[in-house]
Amino acid sequence: MTVPFRRVLVANRGEIALRIVRTLQEAGVEAVAVYSDADSRARHVRAADHAVRIGPPPASESYLRVDNILDAARATQADAVHPGYGFLSEQAAFATACADAGMVFIGPSPETLAGLGDKIAARRSADASGVPVVPGTFEALELNGMDDAEGMDPLSTVAAGIGWPLLVKASAGGGGRGMRRVDDPKDFPAAVASAAREGKAAFGDGTIYLERYIEQARHVEVQLLGDSAGSIVALGERDCSVQRRHQKLVEEGPAPGLTEAQRERLHGLAVTVARSVGLQNAATAEFLLAPDGQLYFLEINARLQVEHGVTELVTGLDLVREQLWLAAGRPLSGAVVKAAQSASRPERHAIEMRISAEDPANDFAPAPGRLTVWREPSGPGVRVDSGVEEGDLITVEYDPLLAKILAVDLDRPAAMARMRRALGELQAGGIQTTLPFHLWLLGHADFIDGRLSTDLVARAWDPAPIRAQALRRAAEALLRSDSQRFEDKSDHLSSSAHQQAALSGPGERRDSERAWAQAGRREATERWP
Amino acid sequence: MAVNASGLRVTIDGPDGIILESDDEHLCAKPPTDDGAIVSRLIPSLGIDQIEGRRRFEVIVDGWLIKASIEPSRAAALRERSRRAASQAGHHIPIVIRAQIPGRVVRVWVAQGEAVEAGQRLLAVEAMKMENELKAPRAGTVDSLRAAMGQTVETGDELVTIA
Repeated sequence: MTVPFRRVLVANRGEIALRIVRTLQEAGVEAVAVYSDADSRARHVRAADHAVRIGPPPASESYLRVDNILDAARATQADAVHPGYGFLSEQAAFATACADAGMVFIGPSPETLAGLGDKIAARRSADASGVPVVPGTFEALELNGMDDAEGMDPLSTVAAGIGWPLLVKASAGGGGRGMRRVDDPKDFPAAVASAAREGKAAFGDGTIYLERYIEQARHVEVQLLGDSAGSIVALGERDCSVQRRHQKLVEEGPAPGLTEAQRERLHGLAVTVARSVGLQNAATAEFLLAPDGQLYFLEINARLQVEHGVTELVTGLDLVREQLWLAAGRPLSGAVVKAAQSASRPERHAIEMRISAEDPANDFAPAPGRLTVWREPSGPGVRVDSGVEEGDLITVEYDPLLAKILAVDLDRPAAMARMRRALGELQAGGIQTTLPFHLWLLGHADFIDGRLSTDLVARAWDPAPIRAQALRRAAEALLRSDSQRFEDKSDHLSSSAHQQAALSGPGERRDSERAWAQAGRREATERWP
Repeated sequence: MAVNASGLRVTIDGPDGIILESDDEHLCAKPPTDDGAIVSRLIPSLGIDQIEGRRRFEVIVDGWLIKASIEPSRAAALRERSRRAASQAGHHIPIVIRAQIPGRVVRVWVAQGEAVEAGQRLLAVEAMKMENELKAPRAGTVDSLRAAMGQTVETGDELVTIA
């Protein structure tokens, strides 16, 4: 089959831009990268066939500038635009502007995007088509005079009717922003005010809605593809319950512990919701799975999801390639239809862990800086989607995601073992990353046994003792390595800012099962009380 | 802690304050480390406080980024003695609060001359789409306030001085 496009502009940066460029190149399509001044030498820029500067570092002056991106697309005569995720990917105005400029927007129609951008409208659509939604409000709540108690009274009445705990959500929210959990009615006014403020600042929409908080729920989502003729299929689900502050840290597919019947029902609900909003191209329908097995629809994200690679590893599909064909007006491919038919009987398990520039000991606060050490894992069943390389400056302007490490195998325990091995190979220095959290999670009984819920991190992650142990080992390692260097009279490391003395062989990290390693560590600990 | 004539002292940065001390001989007798630590020497940049004979390192253990310094135990002991003497003489040293990460000042809760309590919020810096609050490390008064709303700050910039 002929390739549908000649040249595609990727309106994004970092790992997702690079990931899309790779598929374009495989398909024989020229890739156009865009970049801000902060990214002029970034991997996604170097990988593309063409690159166009679109502005200074702040996203609001570069990656969010529709006019600059369309200028770049015109200048390079691109015939389509892939928005990736985040930035402009769900902006109906951007999709419209692309169409007006004679370019194909690789995603849903502007009408669908406009409909779905309003999370409450999506709730209404789902409810109307018989899909269960989380109990709560179906109208956007405007906050006139949100600072005075009287303006809050009607809202408080509605909230009391829904019951506590509940979630306050910004109507245009996403990615965990503009969302607040309220356990105590007295905290409600402050939560409403801050959710509205965050929604206003991040999305230009200060209205909110309310949902009951489903305790110990799991977050499951279904990957969907749809064509212009209206055919929509589900390609399997992912469990994204491991979150902090409503932002995902780990995703896996299939969701552990579901029966084939439960999978079929979940996939069916997702397709029903997608059909009710006229979905085309790629999207994800998000649900809560309560401990009693009840499913509640949350929202549809009408774009390629960060964690799409999980489904790619389980199904063997390339979702970006499928997006290209669908955007060109082709029907769902034979491979997609086949994968959809067996989606409730998956034969592989994949896990993704997000390595971000965040300090897991400090409530996952941003940890920007220079990435002085960066070695990615590889080997059987391991996929790394990253957009960084050693020496990169990780700035505060953008998302802190550095890399997604994915592992796939025939079943969940084998995939976890692969992930453990892969994380052992990952080396990151110069900035703090979320790696210690992921290493801990892989050893946590609830995760190992598949007892997942969105409160797992808040409930079980206690970094202090884990970090204290690492500090002690670091001090010991430093004393030893440094004194050895003195002995060798080889203390001329100053030639390089980050010259390394890797103190162990490749397979020897954290292998506490080795008796001599344990004995050595014990000896060291006892020597310096 | 007894000070060994030929000893070395490792001090881990931060409030955790781990200090390890030992002499060379024991260490050199040990086999290469087995703990998977990655040790990198940090080259001091201008303007960062530098103490004679102290070498800075970054150590990565299980993904934790740990900064530490090594110096002769004797030097460390001398320095501590002089610091103790200084504090006994009644020096009251103001605390300078600096930006820990680059970002934008999005909120300022205090004003110059205002009395603050330990733990009180001073200002918030936004970075990577998240707000980070800076709090007073001890009680005192705001001696100088160099951060203004909307201002862009770099790591190490002086924001507030508590006297």
